[in-house]
Amino acid sequence: MLEIQHLTVNYGGIQALQDISVTVQSGEIVTLIGANGAGKSTTLRSISRIVSPRLGQIIYEGENLLKKRPDEVVKMGIAHVPEGRRVLARLTVEDNLLLGAYTRNDGAIQKDLHHQFERFPRLAERRKQQAGTLSGGEQQMLAMARALMSRPRLLLLDEPSLGLAPIIVKSIFQIIRDLNSNSGVTILLVEQNAQLALNTATRGYVLEAGTVKITGSSADLLGDDRVKQAYLG
Amino acid sequence: MNIALFFQQIANGLAIGSVYAIFALGYTLIFSILGIINFAHGAVFTLGAYFTYTFMGLAFGFNGLLAQQKLPFGLPFPIALVLGGLAAGAIGVLIERAFFRPLRMRGGDSLLTLVSSLGIAVAIVNIIQYLVGAEAYAYPMSALGGLPPSVNFGTPESPLIVRTVQIVIFAVSMIILAGLTYLINATRTGKALRAVAEDATTASLLGINTDRLIMFTFFLSGFVGGIAGTLVGLSVTVTGPYFGIAFGLKGLAVIVLGGLGSIPGAVIGGLVIGLAEALVPSQSSALKEAVAFAILFVILLVRPQGIMGRVQVQKV
Repeated sequence: MLEIQHLTVNYGGIQALQDISVTVQSGEIVTLIGANGAGKSTTLRSISRIVSPRLGQIIYEGENLLKKRPDEVVKMGIAHVPEGRRVLARLTVEDNLLLGAYTRNDGAIQKDLHHQFERFPRLAERRKQQAGTLSGGEQQMLAMARALMSRPRLLLLDEPSLGLAPIIVKSIFQIIRDLNSNSGVTILLVEQNAQLALNTATRGYVLEAGTVKITGSSADLLGDDRVKQAYLG
Repeated sequence: MNIALFFQQIANGLAIGSVYAIFALGYTLIFSILGIINFAHGAVFTLGAYFTYTFMGLAFGFNGLLAQQKLPFGLPFPIALVLGGLAAGAIGVLIERAFFRPLRMRGGDSLLTLVSSLGIAVAIVNIIQYLVGAEAYAYPMSALGGLPPSVNFGTPESPLIVRTVQIVIFAVSMIILAGLTYLINATRTGKALRAVAEDATTASLLGINTDRLIMFTFFLSGFVGGIAGTLVGLSVTVTGPYFGIAFGLKGLAVIVLGGLGSIPGAVIGGLVIGLAEALVPSQSSALKEAVAFAILFVILLVRPQGIMGRVQVQKV
């Protein structure tokens, strides 16, 4: 479904990614784990066309994403839940969700809105509130629901557990698994919590200083001594 | 000041204040999206007034490249007003494409953009002078059609006379304000604009084509600027190529007073300055221009973020 080939990204002199290759098959949950600054977010931002790679290719369903604008990427069925949620704080919860469906003009937007409120009842209670007034966990739910409003086939999740209480993290990861197994959404998950990520994903890539160090099935990675030592503590 | 004169001055203040408001909204729209002040806005205001004059089929003076030229047809004022606004909007888009966008794409400093917008303003003034000379142009009395020049809201014994022009200006400004308010708060495009204003990166992750919305913002800004230029030209005259420059500075006072980036702030700021100027007694009318900036100074001492401005909170 998604094929990242030999991607190299520079941020003003600093090499953020160096020749990384990642593939995601339809129906999978694939995770990128690694320390801060390893290049995980940069990979997602390259797919969404927020950063421009220097070298390499990103092929999604046979098309070269690097020839597309960010809004075209969304139209092709890729939604990105950015790090730090980035909800539109001055807009209401409902407006945030409706903007998630900005690329659509079918008649089912209201139905999907209703559906997201069923999936995230906390958001339904707060639908007329400004998104900036929500708690961190609620904002994460809003960011995910907003991404789902575009009806993505591939969902990019950047650090969904960041700064949240364990009980909220648990319910968010439950939703992630449910999205994958029941709604058929393919997921590329970036996470610092390697244990949690590998328990959720089918496969994983370990990024270190902008390169792929180790890759394999989640079970293999959970059993790998290097991974255990560096990321599973 | 007797009571009739007082109400007349209030009417004047509301009329000019409402033009200040829509003009200042042109700055506010661009500022809230890009965080820059477009100094070319005053020049676009001037262009709007000239465009309307042109569309009315009126001849230019004896100087300039287009001396004594005119369109082969003349349109009625209301239509020319709208077309003038649209043409000014197109100039706004042109300015964005030719100057602002290339600088933005290269990650140019916002100070650079600001200075080049000043340059654009100077260039427009010079082009106008080159084309149609430096003389003043007035819309003909017939611009308002069959409307009487003034309306008496009092009685024949104690008249309360308001110039029809003032009523027209106020009404047109209110229509523009209502339209913009609706556009921004109740439409899909308006919500997208607010999203881009708040966080352009996130907006593009949602599938919003930010580039196109920025162009649309420049169009809107130019449109309201052009309409404001025509309205002021109707009230006084189009005083020449520098027509919009002083007005442009006044507009800056309005947005800073109201709070940078705040739409209600631009409206309140415009009305406050318009009313304050109108209430300057006629024997001290030389001080009129100073009033806007005096108010600005006093209010900023008390509320540095402006009347409706938000205090910028830096999140870490």
